[in-house]
Amino acid sequence: MAVRSAEDDGPTSSRWDGGAGKADFNAKRKKKVAEIYQALNSDPTDVAALRRMAISEGGLLTDEIRRKVWPKLLNVNTNDPPPISGNDLRQMSKDYQQVLLDVRRSLRRFPPGMPEEQREGLQEELIDIILLVLERNPQLHYYQGYHDIVVTFLLVVGEKLAASLVEKLSTHHLRDFMDPTMDNTKHILNYLMPIIDQVNPDLHDFMQSAEVGTIFALSWLITWFGHVLSDFRHVVRLYDFFLACHPLMPIYFAAVIVLHREQEVLDCDCDMASVHHLLSQIPQDLPYETLISRAGDLFVQFPPSELAREAAAQQQAEKTAASTFKDFELASAQQRPDMVLRQRFRGLLRPEERTKDVLTKPRTNRFVKLAVMGLTVALGAAALAVVKSALEWAPKFQLQLFP
Amino acid sequence: MRVHRWKPRGDRFQPHVARAMQFSSSARAADESFDYLFKIILIGDSNVGKTCVVRHFTSGVYTEAQQSTIGVDFTVCALEINGKKVKMQVWDTAGQERFRTITQSYYRSAHAAIIAYDLTRRSTFESVPHWIHEIEKYGAANLVIMLIGNKCDMWEKRHVLFEDACTLAEKYGLLAVLETSAKESKNIDEVFVLMARELMARHSLPLYGEGTLGSLPLDSSPVLTAPGPREKSQCTC
Repeated sequence: MAVRSAEDDGPTSSRWDGGAGKADFNAKRKKKVAEIYQALNSDPTDVAALRRMAISEGGLLTDEIRRKVWPKLLNVNTNDPPPISGNDLRQMSKDYQQVLLDVRRSLRRFPPGMPEEQREGLQEELIDIILLVLERNPQLHYYQGYHDIVVTFLLVVGEKLAASLVEKLSTHHLRDFMDPTMDNTKHILNYLMPIIDQVNPDLHDFMQSAEVGTIFALSWLITWFGHVLSDFRHVVRLYDFFLACHPLMPIYFAAVIVLHREQEVLDCDCDMASVHHLLSQIPQDLPYETLISRAGDLFVQFPPSELAREAAAQQQAEKTAASTFKDFELASAQQRPDMVLRQRFRGLLRPEERTKDVLTKPRTNRFVKLAVMGLTVALGAAALAVVKSALEWAPKFQLQLFP
Repeated sequence: MRVHRWKPRGDRFQPHVARAMQFSSSARAADESFDYLFKIILIGDSNVGKTCVVRHFTSGVYTEAQQSTIGVDFTVCALEINGKKVKMQVWDTAGQERFRTITQSYYRSAHAAIIAYDLTRRSTFESVPHWIHEIEKYGAANLVIMLIGNKCDMWEKRHVLFEDACTLAEKYGLLAVLETSAKESKNIDEVFVLMARELMARHSLPLYGEGTLGSLPLDSSPVLTAPGPREKSQCTC
């Protein structure tokens, strides 16, 4: 049983407020719902269409639809029995204390009007799901913020399904955050500045001279913005988007937020504290649909493969400043592009698969790509292209195919 | 304790205030005049109340539903002490061990550290030497360290004696120990004021050259001496 009512999430953008616009919106929305159900009911399920729907304007619209589509996006069979454990998890788990402390303090993540008793019941379920996934996957390590992701699933799809979805997500999209150390998380953060540099070199340079770093985006990345957005509708809208996309999409979205706030940043004092403080406070009235579409465009325009070199260079730059041997060791170990996602799966790929995927890689020339970008004001081709890449990431190791 | 706060004009640490006007750099400098700028890092185990302490100091509000801090949060506190404007940047850090590689990079530029423990959980106090070690390893050599035992409103659940905290503070040469309660507003202002006074005394030259040596406040804590017992504020709860 899911907890949030199946009510409309409603349009998040104010441009639908007018009378004619509203009618238009309703018509579009109805059409989208029909398309989603069509994709769900076709045999085999049209997952590519579902991904497109999750990305395009409005996302998956309602929690009722999300309960059906999210499992498809994660390739989870809802008929399979949910993961269970025979052990007393609270007795055995080394993470129990930390999980308990974080979940107890997560009041803000539950709907404001919820009766205390119901909330406390959900908090218990939240603890159980987290401990279960950790127990079944001893390679995964709990981090503060993981509970922010799990609570989103719990509130939308209910305990049983949440456990299956979160387990899949943790071994895929969130895998790098759940390493024993945060090195891979830091490496992913290193993609942020190169993306900004591609779009707005002035902003990039300003931020570099402020030495702001990327830690302001850490909680955005590892909670998929669940920790920082107060309106749950925005959170689930973003989850639609991220579930349909490449695991690195949240960092593109983070870059888009920074780019969106260009003027505020440039007006800020050029010092680390001011810029960090400004950026770490996310305005709650962001134009989410526009930003989502922009993040999709940027992903197509500057795919991770093209940024990998700069991301690694970022690491190099940090290395220069690093004074301890540990930092040095770390930086030198991560010089190779896309090392994060590559290393773990090295050797899994056979050469013929490699060739095949390289051929299907959307390696059109920049001009054509840009032309496509110009055309896709709201979505359309860009979304399609993102879907294409999104399909290519699973299994994740295929990221390495981009040279 | 009466604390006189000043608010940096121009709202430049209030990102949600729209700034239609572009300040010229000279106007900015005048706006943001202060005599001292100190950077303080706030560390300690998870859920000891670090964020509540700093929030309470800046806004006077205590939130029961304070979320876990992820990574590093940043707050500015402004104080006026002896007619001097003191700005303190507080870097509030996540307590979970795996975030330490991230928070470590903030130690280097800090003038002071506040280590917090929860006096109802012995384990958080036992980690204090470890936090001190982190500071020694990653921070500047002359970093001022203060220890605070938070949640002193829950005295009936106390698991750490104030005397034990004092012994530890003396052993490591910390500036002071205070028992605090963000919930009941106990000793929170004292923490920051004491810290500000100490830092002012140690940094004899104001950073932005507006003060002179002669105007130094002379009634602050002794400079560069290990604290005697008199400096330890006894918890009033």
